[in-house]
Amino acid sequence: MADTSESGRLKQETAIEKLLRRPEIGSFVVMLVIIVALAIASDGKSFNALGLKNNIAIIAQYGIIATGAAVLMIAGEFDLSIGSMIGFAGMAMSMMLKWGLPFGMGEATPITAFIITLAMTLALGWLIGTVVVRSGLSSFIVTLAFLFFLRGVTEVSFRLINKSTQISGLPDYKEESWFANLLGGDVFGWFYDLWFMLGGNLNRRGEQWVEGFDARFLWWLVIAGVAYFFLSRTQIGNWIYATGDNKEAARANGVPVNRVKIGLFMFTAFCATMFAACQVFDTNTSDAAKGNLMELFAIAIAVVGGTLMTGGFGSVIGVVFGAITVGLVANAVFFIPAIDGAWFRVFLGGILLAAVFANERIRKRITGGI
Amino acid sequence: MAEPYLRVEGLVKRFGPFTALGGVDLEVFPGEVHCLLGDNGAGKSTLIKTLAGVHEPTEGKIYIEGKPVEFRSPRDASDAGIGTVYQDLAINQLLSVTRNFFMGRELKGPLGTLRMDEMNKIAHDEMLKIGIDFSDPTQAVGTMSGGQRQTLAIARAIYFGAKVLILDEPTSALGQKQQMGVLKTIKKVRARGDIAIIFITHNEIHSRLVGDRFTFLALGQTIGAGTNAEIGDEEMRRLMSGGAEMGDLEQELAAI
Repeated sequence: MADTSESGRLKQETAIEKLLRRPEIGSFVVMLVIIVALAIASDGKSFNALGLKNNIAIIAQYGIIATGAAVLMIAGEFDLSIGSMIGFAGMAMSMMLKWGLPFGMGEATPITAFIITLAMTLALGWLIGTVVVRSGLSSFIVTLAFLFFLRGVTEVSFRLINKSTQISGLPDYKEESWFANLLGGDVFGWFYDLWFMLGGNLNRRGEQWVEGFDARFLWWLVIAGVAYFFLSRTQIGNWIYATGDNKEAARANGVPVNRVKIGLFMFTAFCATMFAACQVFDTNTSDAAKGNLMELFAIAIAVVGGTLMTGGFGSVIGVVFGAITVGLVANAVFFIPAIDGAWFRVFLGGILLAAVFANERIRKRITGGI
Repeated sequence: MAEPYLRVEGLVKRFGPFTALGGVDLEVFPGEVHCLLGDNGAGKSTLIKTLAGVHEPTEGKIYIEGKPVEFRSPRDASDAGIGTVYQDLAINQLLSVTRNFFMGRELKGPLGTLRMDEMNKIAHDEMLKIGIDFSDPTQAVGTMSGGQRQTLAIARAIYFGAKVLILDEPTSALGQKQQMGVLKTIKKVRARGDIAIIFITHNEIHSRLVGDRFTFLALGQTIGAGTNAEIGDEEMRRLMSGGAEMGDLEQELAAI
């Protein structure tokens, strides 16, 4: 006789009930509310041609690093070094572009500057991950150390080599280099062309107003898409969830827990590097303070997106919704001049707290109240 | 008599000056339940951890099908067909039944993607074989009862080739009804005939209900062994309390 009595106690759910149990549902509803509220309050300005471009630009920035932070959180670790890593990567790239490659290897091109920078940040990610798994210390404290360390290295390097903590007036590499254009140029021009053809997207002189989105929009979609695919459809994804839920159980079943974690610290370093590269090639500037506090935004967005602080649970789709929500509110001040920009932080604090409570309820429901 | 699948001879395990196991012998046969009984600190955990490849024995030999083996890691033991179901079950609550079932040993398609439908079906069928019809293997393990989780862990060990199933106090943290469910599962695995079960328990009644053979440990020594028929109730109680006579204990208690 099959023991159906207990599994039978699980209520059969309708499609709607199943939908309501999805981890993304909370962040989705909040996002809808914000979109509608913002459209009304800004008199539609936040979603006109330029408004949409500017909003997407900041959403994509947040989205890129929040994806990295969320996947790492699902595996049970934090990375507080994301913001400093952004500053470090931006510094490394712009300095190579201005002063040439290290060790007298000659002039830098956007590609070589990017690749050498990425090699350094991935190595740093590997180092952070290795320190965390080998020492068994909390990633909170290890990455906090790297937050200070990397920010300090960035400033010191700037002053030693550049005599100033900013670089501005780099040539516009987008003009000649396809690679720089891929990171800092425009994408999805067809969207705005289509909008123009349909009679919208007009400036005051009646010409096409906006040409395309910032390239980081594309990179955000790529990074989020790849992360989604790996998390939900592949063995690596199962390992990531298993590592974050119960590390010892995962290890007992042969999951290479340490390699998973080190790999994900490298992934957050990669996301930070992409953030910095898009910024450098878009604006042709860099600054030692770039990326400040971004690690906290990334974690906040991951939590607003439904990722559990304790690991083992979360979804990339939810983080996409979270990034849209937080990005829109961060930008709202530009479209509604009457409000004080500091309300953004009030809002973020409130929604973060609400999200933590909501996530805790989800976790209890899944684990049967433990 | 059939050859034992697993044989342990004079197993000694010392941790520094402390002798956890002082020469234990054990034989387990396919299609039998071998109950390992003993008080806390008797050495049961050390014995199973040694069999599972977590500890290396200080002295003594382990034989699989008559051939001596040495386990340097849990992986070696599991490759040799020893499947250990620990008390914490090595299960992730937030993951689905299927994802737990295949954790670390996922079935992959050509692009490295998970063959989810196939895995769902296998997880469902394997659990059904030993007694639970869990209709939706995509549900999180957190929604399962303790007994069902045991079944999941046991089904997983068997599916991945366990010939010796070590169950570490599988009934200890469960309610009455679920304990019976686990005993039913043990019986079903036993009925397959090809798997040897080592059942660690504190519970005399449970071991009587499913056990074929008993080994009693106390202070790292084997203090008694025999088949279900050979060991009487009185003898069993004496051995379970570490060899002390019940009468002596009664006297001691009366004197307080």
